[in-house]
Amino acid sequence: MKQISLGIIGFGIEGKVMLRNSLWLKGARIDAVADLSEKARSAAKKSGVKKVYGKYEDLLKDDKIDGVIISLPNFLHQEAAVKSAEAGKHILLEKPLARNVEEGERILSAVKKNGVKLMIGYDMRFDPVLSGIHDKIADGFFGEVQIAEATNITGGPFAPRSDSIGPVRVPSWWFDKELAGGGALLDLGSHLVDLFIWYFGEVASASCFLKYMYRTDLEDVATCILKFNNGPVATVKAGWFSKGFIESLQICGTAKNTLIQLAPENTSSIIWKGIVRKFIGRNKNSAYYLELQHFVNCLQKDEQPQPSGEEGLRSLQAISSAYRNAQTVM
Amino acid sequence: MHTQNCEPEALKHAIKKSLDLINFDFGRKAKKIVIKPNMCYYYHPSTGEVTDPRFVSVLIDVFRENLDVSEILVVESDASAMKCKNAFNILGYDKMAAEKKVNLVNLTEEKYRIVNKTIGGHAFKFHIPMLFSEADLIVNVPKPKYMEGVKISCALKNFFGCNAYPNKLIYHKVLDKAIVAVNENIKTHLVVLDGLAVIGKYTKRLNLVMSSEDPVAADSAVSEMMGLSPRSVGAIVLAAERGIGVSSFSSVGEFHYFKEQFPSKGLKDDLRATVANVYLYLFSKH
Repeated sequence: MKQISLGIIGFGIEGKVMLRNSLWLKGARIDAVADLSEKARSAAKKSGVKKVYGKYEDLLKDDKIDGVIISLPNFLHQEAAVKSAEAGKHILLEKPLARNVEEGERILSAVKKNGVKLMIGYDMRFDPVLSGIHDKIADGFFGEVQIAEATNITGGPFAPRSDSIGPVRVPSWWFDKELAGGGALLDLGSHLVDLFIWYFGEVASASCFLKYMYRTDLEDVATCILKFNNGPVATVKAGWFSKGFIESLQICGTAKNTLIQLAPENTSSIIWKGIVRKFIGRNKNSAYYLELQHFVNCLQKDEQPQPSGEEGLRSLQAISSAYRNAQTVM
Repeated sequence: MHTQNCEPEALKHAIKKSLDLINFDFGRKAKKIVIKPNMCYYYHPSTGEVTDPRFVSVLIDVFRENLDVSEILVVESDASAMKCKNAFNILGYDKMAAEKKVNLVNLTEEKYRIVNKTIGGHAFKFHIPMLFSEADLIVNVPKPKYMEGVKISCALKNFFGCNAYPNKLIYHKVLDKAIVAVNENIKTHLVVLDGLAVIGKYTKRLNLVMSSEDPVAADSAVSEMMGLSPRSVGAIVLAAERGIGVSSFSSVGEFHYFKEQFPSKGLKDDLRATVANVYLYLFSKH
């Protein structure tokens, strides 16, 4: 099998997560990083990346690179994805596909025109617990699912963050609706919307209640209700407002119900993962790692990776529809 | 003082009574007032991490009703991870300032003088905003919190944020000394502590208002309320030694009630934090 050479475009928090999870990839490695920031490029070099570029256009000129991982802010997704497709690079694009449906369609059109593969970085699909639920729904384990509910509440972009030097400021684009495209629903909720589309298929209707408690143009509290064509009604609760962190999933069917709390994890689980990472080197169940390996496997076998660009567009369409039907809550 | 709730009238009554209890001189000159709340990060005031703009709003009313005021400034400075521009908006200070017709000032964008100061063998350089020297009344509106490295964050630590230099991380290795050094350069005239929501072992609605004209005494009282001896808090000891204030205090009002009610951390919590730090050191990827 061909060894796949990958480049990372955008070496911020997500880019670094991708590099870390790529270290144990089979059949591929990260050979290049592009980032406008000198600090980011220096960090990439220190991490052992051979080629670093300031402009990602220069990385795209590198013939040895087969595919790129785009982990740029939302407002740069369209431009970077279209240019990558035009350069003949396969793309793993960090979610959401784009800021809006129109941009998403332009990306898909460029991908189709240039015959490259596009995968959207909805890593929750690769979480072994959540992919197990997908299989159980398909197998009828829950009977007919009537109600589903998923929650992802954190501080979002406002959660304190730091690098090896110290605290890091929230990037300014997170305060600009024009640049971010949406708030908690697009950022965190899109993971859960994608998960439910994967579980239940086509969305018949979508609406949401939004709250702007931090007085930015971006919603920080969102409750989105999705009605699926084949029956279930799903609720997505996403928020940027909390110092705490909770991530959970509830599935209620005619045969069985389940409630899974994905985060925060219990202490013993965290300790065990730390020990595994320290002494074994990787957590083979890391969703990021599994996502990357899936992308690589598909490039090697010339198959379409999942979630595809079309699936990313379906999530974006559902979210756009929910925004159009939004009610603001005071 | 205990306030029944956070409604403006109840809060106004509690703040006024708290100031009366310390015999605050309402006849003093206070044409220009500078208020420094704690806006350390983009946390909601209900977390207990930042000064509630509702508290500052009522404090402004109290000053206007009882002092001869012509100008009030509400100030904060940029920090390593926080920008005032965003914090003013996100925390609701923009809205409050417009309603109360006061000016919000980002100290980092103000004129400053460079002050070099050596304390305990450590040489510091600060950007001290000029506007403090023009103020008649400098009011410190802190939050009581535990803080790793310096044990507590309250009035003295809140004034560390008056140093306009944004990269405050450079001071953190000797933070207690840096805190005292800034307080030597900018004198707090009045502390009015926002204890509506407090964060200790967990967040709790305490509905506490506490005042003092001495930031060292205020911090001593708060540290005792939080279950820590003031003698164990480096910044308090050093500030008292250098004459910023006195570490002894006499409480008036309901101090013992709040000491009982404060969600204090215990030995078990310290042990848990130590274990977590050891774990992070051993197993986190650097």
